[in-house]
Amino acid sequence: MAKEESIEIEGVILDALPNALFKVKLENSLEVLAHVSGKIRMHYIRILPGDKVKVQISPYDITKGRITYRYK
Amino acid sequence: MITIKTEREIDLMRASGALVARVLDLIETEIMPGMTTKQLDTMAEEFIRDHNAEPSFLNYAPKGDPGATPYPATLCVSLNEEVVHGIPNNKRVIKEGDIVSVDCGVYKGGYHGDAARTFVLGTIDQKIQELVSVTHECLSRGIAMAVAGNRLHDISSAIEDYARSFRFSVIENMVGHGIGSELHEDPAVPNYGKKNTGVKLREGMTLAIEPMIALGRSRRAISKRGGWVAVTEDGKPSAHFEHTIVVRPGKAEILTRTFLYGETA
Repeated sequence: MAKEESIEIEGVILDALPNALFKVKLENSLEVLAHVSGKIRMHYIRILPGDKVKVQISPYDITKGRITYRYK
Repeated sequence: MITIKTEREIDLMRASGALVARVLDLIETEIMPGMTTKQLDTMAEEFIRDHNAEPSFLNYAPKGDPGATPYPATLCVSLNEEVVHGIPNNKRVIKEGDIVSVDCGVYKGGYHGDAARTFVLGTIDQKIQELVSVTHECLSRGIAMAVAGNRLHDISSAIEDYARSFRFSVIENMVGHGIGSELHEDPAVPNYGKKNTGVKLREGMTLAIEPMIALGRSRRAISKRGGWVAVTEDGKPSAHFEHTIVVRPGKAEILTRTFLYGETA
């Protein structure tokens, strides 16, 4: 029996919201609300509108995600 | 945490694996158009209980998701566009021209065995036939990389590269898994990835390797909220094969090998 995992998709930041939340437009043109992973926070990696990022999408709610990487 | 099994544990898993293989052999000889998926399920459950074992999937609830409903059956029977976790149903009739993925798990002597095969019924479209044979070959290529000293994603990239060379798509949100006294253990074994990454494989790791490959471009298998069955995004057919294996130096040992045709996997 296969295990269900979250999947990672690339996207572009549309909007920076309060509380380190971001609105992200994904490759498949869906929009999700994503927060920033602890590792990104720890290293003070700034994320601005227009940045390309990698987002993990929860299998349980596909409108919420987690930003795990910001591309240079 | 990834557990390394001792030879004693592997012996017990060999027994569970062999029983899984016998269940699938039974299904392979009995399956035909006109049967309902529930009939297959009942047959498998009786067979497993007659051999003093329990179905692993019945009442299985994935950890870390308190809202999930426990799985209600012995087998996962997934037709055509259904990727995995199709729940057997006495209204669902198998037709000629279907491809049917049957996934079975057995809990015996404290350890699980897990395997799946995709069966082809009657004559089908050549493209779909190719999908089934390529998926089977993906599994063989994945297993060939599961040797001590390699890395985990060597298995994943072998599967992905072969599937992509036929322009098939790999389902990314369903993955293989470690297996042992729990049905799902660490590590996750994705069917896509980069060579030379991931944990080092060591002798005695037991993995369930399961490529799920689809026609079309679907990268995810989607299921309804609270539901089990997962289908491709674009409704194109998908195939699924799975074996439980032990990582060994040189060549992996397959625990769920069929007894039907002698040496072939």
